[in-house]
Amino acid sequence: MITLDDMSLSIEDFNRCIEDIVNTSDNLIDGWRFEQNEELENGKYIIKKEQKVLSQDQEDDINHVLTFEYHIAFNISYGVPVLCFNVWKQDGTMLTVEEFWKLNERFKESNMYDTITQMDHPVLRRPFFTLHPCRTHEIMEPFLEESKNPVVSWLTVVGPFVHLDLNEEYVKMCS
Amino acid sequence: MSDNLSYVQISSSVNPSFWNKLSELKLNVYKLDESKHSIWGYHTIINSTSCPITLMEVDSTSFNREFTAHNQYLPFHGWILNTNTIEQFKECDKVELINSEGHKLYQHIINEDVFKDTSLLNRFFILSFADLKKFHYYYWFSFPVPRHVVVEKIDACDLENVFSPEEVETLHSAYKNLDCTQRSYFIVKKESGKMLEICTLAFQLKSITLEDKDNYYFVFHNISNDKNAVGSPFRNYVAFLLYYCDFLQNKIVNFISFNLSRTGSQVTCRKSIVYKLKLPMKTKDFYTSWVGWEKNERDKMGPKLANMKNTLDPSVIAENAVDLNLKLMKWNLLPSIDLDNIKKTKCLLLGAGTLGCSVARTLLGWGVRDITFVDNSTVSFSNPVRQSLFTYQDSVDMKSKSKAAADNLKNIFPGVNSVGHQLTIPMPGHSVGESLLEQTKESVKKLTQLIKDHDAIFLLLDSRESRWLPTLIGNVENKILINAALGFDSYLVMRHGVYSQNDTIQASDHPEGCKVITGNNLACYFCCDVTAPGDSLKGRTLDQQCTVTRPGVSQIAGALAVELLISVLQHKHGVLAPAYYSTAQTVPMQEMTASGDSVLGLVPHSIRGFLSSFEQILPATEKYKNCVACSDLVINEYKEKQMEFLLNVFNSSKHLEDVALLTEMFKDTDFEEVLEFSDEDFSA
Ligand SMILES: [Zn+2]
Repeated sequence: MITLDDMSLSIEDFNRCIEDIVNTSDNLIDGWRFEQNEELENGKYIIKKEQKVLSQDQEDDINHVLTFEYHIAFNISYGVPVLCFNVWKQDGTMLTVEEFWKLNERFKESNMYDTITQMDHPVLRRPFFTLHPCRTHEIMEPFLEESKNPVVSWLTVVGPFVHLDLNEEYVKMCS
Repeated sequence: MSDNLSYVQISSSVNPSFWNKLSELKLNVYKLDESKHSIWGYHTIINSTSCPITLMEVDSTSFNREFTAHNQYLPFHGWILNTNTIEQFKECDKVELINSEGHKLYQHIINEDVFKDTSLLNRFFILSFADLKKFHYYYWFSFPVPRHVVVEKIDACDLENVFSPEEVETLHSAYKNLDCTQRSYFIVKKESGKMLEICTLAFQLKSITLEDKDNYYFVFHNISNDKNAVGSPFRNYVAFLLYYCDFLQNKIVNFISFNLSRTGSQVTCRKSIVYKLKLPMKTKDFYTSWVGWEKNERDKMGPKLANMKNTLDPSVIAENAVDLNLKLMKWNLLPSIDLDNIKKTKCLLLGAGTLGCSVARTLLGWGVRDITFVDNSTVSFSNPVRQSLFTYQDSVDMKSKSKAAADNLKNIFPGVNSVGHQLTIPMPGHSVGESLLEQTKESVKKLTQLIKDHDAIFLLLDSRESRWLPTLIGNVENKILINAALGFDSYLVMRHGVYSQNDTIQASDHPEGCKVITGNNLACYFCCDVTAPGDSLKGRTLDQQCTVTRPGVSQIAGALAVELLISVLQHKHGVLAPAYYSTAQTVPMQEMTASGDSVLGLVPHSIRGFLSSFEQILPATEKYKNCVACSDLVINEYKEKQMEFLLNVFNSSKHLEDVALLTEMFKDTDFEEVLEFSDEDFSA
């Protein structure tokens, strides 16, 4: 049975959470910024770019500089935030989902591994790597009541699987 | 003996959006214009801890008129020269190009532009050629710096060893108060007993003398992530300083490599380094000889190629997305499914009506890339609502169905290779006069060739007779034949047995209560229907000729026809997959998940559904030895006499009954009893 009083995150809650993230980020010069498609109810999302060096496999010792672009948007049908990201090499070519998995073999045993897939971005409607939102609610649920910023709390859980680490200042926002 | 200061080469990082924007500008604005266009490059003001390589990025905002990202990035001034041909890209004089860019920088130095905006010393340019059809971008970055700047490193120590914590704090807050244009390079003045002063180059530089030079620290915002080196634009700084302070040649000068870094939540400049550097003598060609072309991924002096097809070509994006969807099925549910086998199966759809459209769409869903249509009619006004590949406009234009279906399929998915053939399939009992003789022969040849060129043949025609010839040829050619026919509220979907003499495949153990027929012993559409396919179009009422069916029936049957093909393809024996059928009411088919022969389960022989009761049954029938289409009698006659036999059959279906020895049989059989089901129930 579907109950309406089920705890979930509203778009307003989401927008407030990401606004707080951007404010904190501005103080930290951490790079999160707003984007918006005003035609959509869930049009607000935030973006951050980060460069990392990951080596593809053992035998090849060339370091690949990869740019990760993280997006946090709101998925209306699941009623949860979505972490989408794209990864590209220095010449601008994007990693395929298989290439990305190859870089992340170490997560193979965790059940988070199989939730990284490619889905359409909730706002941009283009394919992005995505942490599949089906398990997000489950992860978020305890935070909805306890955390002042459930989006941040959720990110601290799932972020490390996609190389996204949050500064401690964000975590302070939750309590 | 002290070391020389080492420089870090800047590495370019191109955001995909940069190529996107360049293509857009090339198409709409630049066109054939080959002049230089100003762009911005970005370097983060906080040195990264996760990336040891010094990157300068460009993205779609690089083409903006103003630089607006000062709170996060240091600007690099640059331009792009996009050539019209690959030859121009290759042939243009690279030495001359970089020297002329160096000269421009020299002009900025001597006419005092650098005082107004110190970031002018951070420069780059891109030589590029964009092959927009292939989404290939050839490019070469250059970060011009004077060739002869050898600086001797006399001493290097941490900022905090030279300045007090208060002074470090002053430096940082004064930096933040500087105008954006003055943050890349500035001056710190430290006189004993006085407060630390932070000044712009414009304010201070010209008043410095050889005598008081030791009171000054020349600051540069260092872009190197390597602590032991400085970014290559430092050489431009030296060129600039020596122009205005000639007396600093061969002298030891104080520098601060200004470095912002993050510790916890704090951003500080404490990681900055104070250098004592001995500046060089200006050679004759100090301001005229420039270097700085970026090395490519093979560490050679040469251009790079970005193949952006996967990222920017929408048709490739669509193809990858379709493939990914199927791969997700493989990864998540069916690890052993062979998607490539499906993808490379070439499908021939005989009939582009309700069934043909529905079959084609479902094939697309499975990732099939080669779909050929054969039909002889044009799109009528009643077609588009039931035949999912057509539009109203196709009927206005009276387009041929086969052509319209192929075109529209490509509109739906450009990755498909789809062709339409306008062709009437010759039929038994439809006599061929002199005038039509050549055309008929031509049609037989064309159909035969098409069947040979494909792997799976779908019989989706609207009359029983037209299925005869493709059944025969498909059988002889050992192709997978899938047949679908519709009644008003019923459907039949079946696979034909193959003509295979030397097969030894035995069906694996089958559950109790069911029987099995091997793949080469399965009946064809005509096996169950005893009389030869005569002229069924003659003497019928209108509703027998036209497709009068519940609209959903064709969608169901079309989808089942494709799923049946896919199950055949995934079975380890393929077309020879045995068919099981239940002989006892107690064994529901769902429980007959026999053997590990196929990941998709059982492969039935036929599927019959009835919408009047929403029921479906899965009968399996053996080949009939006197079949007019698939019996050895008929096949051998065809193999022997070829066209002569076919023409005889077209002229009289009675001939077929003779060959199949049916004429003989009818003498002593009650016709009505033999007839298991009539085609009238199952006309498409
Ligand atoms: Zn037969």
